[in-house]
Amino acid sequence: MDQETVRTICYLARLEIEKSKSKKIQTELETIIELIGTLQAIDTSSVEPLYSPLEMTAFAHEDIENSDNKKEKFLENAPASNEDYFLVPRVVE
Amino acid sequence: MSVQFKSIVELRGMLDDKLISASELTEESLKLAKKYEELNCFVTMNEEFSSKKAATIDLETKVNAQLSGIPLAQKDLFCTEGLRTTCSSKILANFIPPYTATAVEKLENAGSITIGKTNMDEFAMGSSNETSFFGNVHNPWKKGYVPGGSSGGSAAAVAAGIVPAATGTDTGGSIRQPAAHCGITGLKPTYGRVSRWGMIAFASSLDQAGPLARTAEDCAILLNTMSGYDSKDTTSLNADVPDFLENINQPIDGLKIGIIKEFNLGELDTEVQARFEESKKVLEKLGARFVEVSLPNISASVPTYYSIAPAECSSNLSRFDGVRFGHRAENTDDLNDLYIKSRSEGFGDEVKRRILIGTYALSAGYYDAYYKKAQQVRRLIKNDFDHVFQSVDVLMTPTSPNTAFKFDSKGTQNPIELYLEDLFTISSNLAGLPAISIPHGQVNSLPVGLQLIGNFLREDQLLNASHIFQQNSDFHLAQPDLGNF
Repeated sequence: MDQETVRTICYLARLEIEKSKSKKIQTELETIIELIGTLQAIDTSSVEPLYSPLEMTAFAHEDIENSDNKKEKFLENAPASNEDYFLVPRVVE
Repeated sequence: MSVQFKSIVELRGMLDDKLISASELTEESLKLAKKYEELNCFVTMNEEFSSKKAATIDLETKVNAQLSGIPLAQKDLFCTEGLRTTCSSKILANFIPPYTATAVEKLENAGSITIGKTNMDEFAMGSSNETSFFGNVHNPWKKGYVPGGSSGGSAAAVAAGIVPAATGTDTGGSIRQPAAHCGITGLKPTYGRVSRWGMIAFASSLDQAGPLARTAEDCAILLNTMSGYDSKDTTSLNADVPDFLENINQPIDGLKIGIIKEFNLGELDTEVQARFEESKKVLEKLGARFVEVSLPNISASVPTYYSIAPAECSSNLSRFDGVRFGHRAENTDDLNDLYIKSRSEGFGDEVKRRILIGTYALSAGYYDAYYKKAQQVRRLIKNDFDHVFQSVDVLMTPTSPNTAFKFDSKGTQNPIELYLEDLFTISSNLAGLPAISIPHGQVNSLPVGLQLIGNFLREDQLLNASHIFQQNSDFHLAQPDLGNF
């Protein structure tokens, strides 16, 4: 891992790391990746991944209408909103 | 009449015998929270609502349910309608949920009273409660020492006797390890047993809610109420929920307990080993039999977890973008800048570290090597458990390799030092199995915990064995000296 990779991952994660901390983060990430890398020694050639301990597919809800509309309450938590929408900085000039 | 350090069963008796009213009990609990404010267990108190609810309960004439009028604390990761829910993060410092988590709703519908929301590691990422935006929680047993994490505030509030029980969540040991460090009982149920709906997600395939209490019997009471199928959680288990109190008193004669060879307990601190051997003798006297078992892949649990959990975390935490709720940075150039600045200002260092690791593990070119590989090893670990549970009833380990430690003494240079705290607890999350931690003595005047891991959906066996242990020992009755707080 190099500083360029750290910058790329930070951008993908939409995070900014202070310049002064960047080297430290690189070392920490390298240490953790090294730890995870130890798994390579285990033979998993014919093993199916286990994505959930229940091994079941998430079920679909029945499509039933209900009156539980909390639009106003949800909008109350928004940093900026009008009556119907979340507001963000202008995207299209 | 003092209510401090009383169990739910004891408080129920006092309420039923009219020795105390629900209002008086709630008031006492709130007073204790105030008195021990320095512990920093709570992020938000719920005084007004608690008092009103207690008064309503006092007016009810019907026979009281088990939890009716009992004060509880909820980990600040469960959404509570109208009551601030922060996940101990700056990014949610002002978040007021529009709904209540199913697990909490069930407890509240049973008459319990939420007196406040407890401090925790930010987004449950940590094993010491030191990553909270709202500051460290002191271990009630020793000032300046961690309570464990991530459910550190819940564990400390119960250990200090402020509330008889609290909710927690456990992704890699976050109920059991703080329970061990604070000298109380904590249960992580089978994955899917308790609804995750309304729990702010960290790692969705590992997260599970459960109780922290003074006794295994109280944990059974809470689990009876918290459990059950919930159509709002797509990974909720549609399985029968037994009455966890029904067989809790059964003798454990013949219980077959496995000791995991690969954990090399001989390398642990000699005093931690000594407590473990003493507890083995107690259980042997009660009729349990011990056998050594091998789980060949269990040593890979920590690296497996630190690939899967950050990957799921990076995906789950992408919802915090400063648009719909939570912290929004000011003076941003455009929408992308708003995302970056809001997230960078809102998340703490450990959360950022895990998001970055997860982003890396899931990125193009690395997915198979890190994420998929870890999920394959996870199956091997689960297969090992399936195999040993054909010949034993439960597995036994120390909960943590160490006692509680001083603030800022671990993981400051190398985060992995702190990750190894979860060595004994992580594997049951990977396999989705239930596990409990019960206090079993002290090392250097700090509590240590004994962990029992059960087979899928066999919380009843864990609660039974723990209850019988507690009926024949008094470690769970030990109380910290709170004179310094």
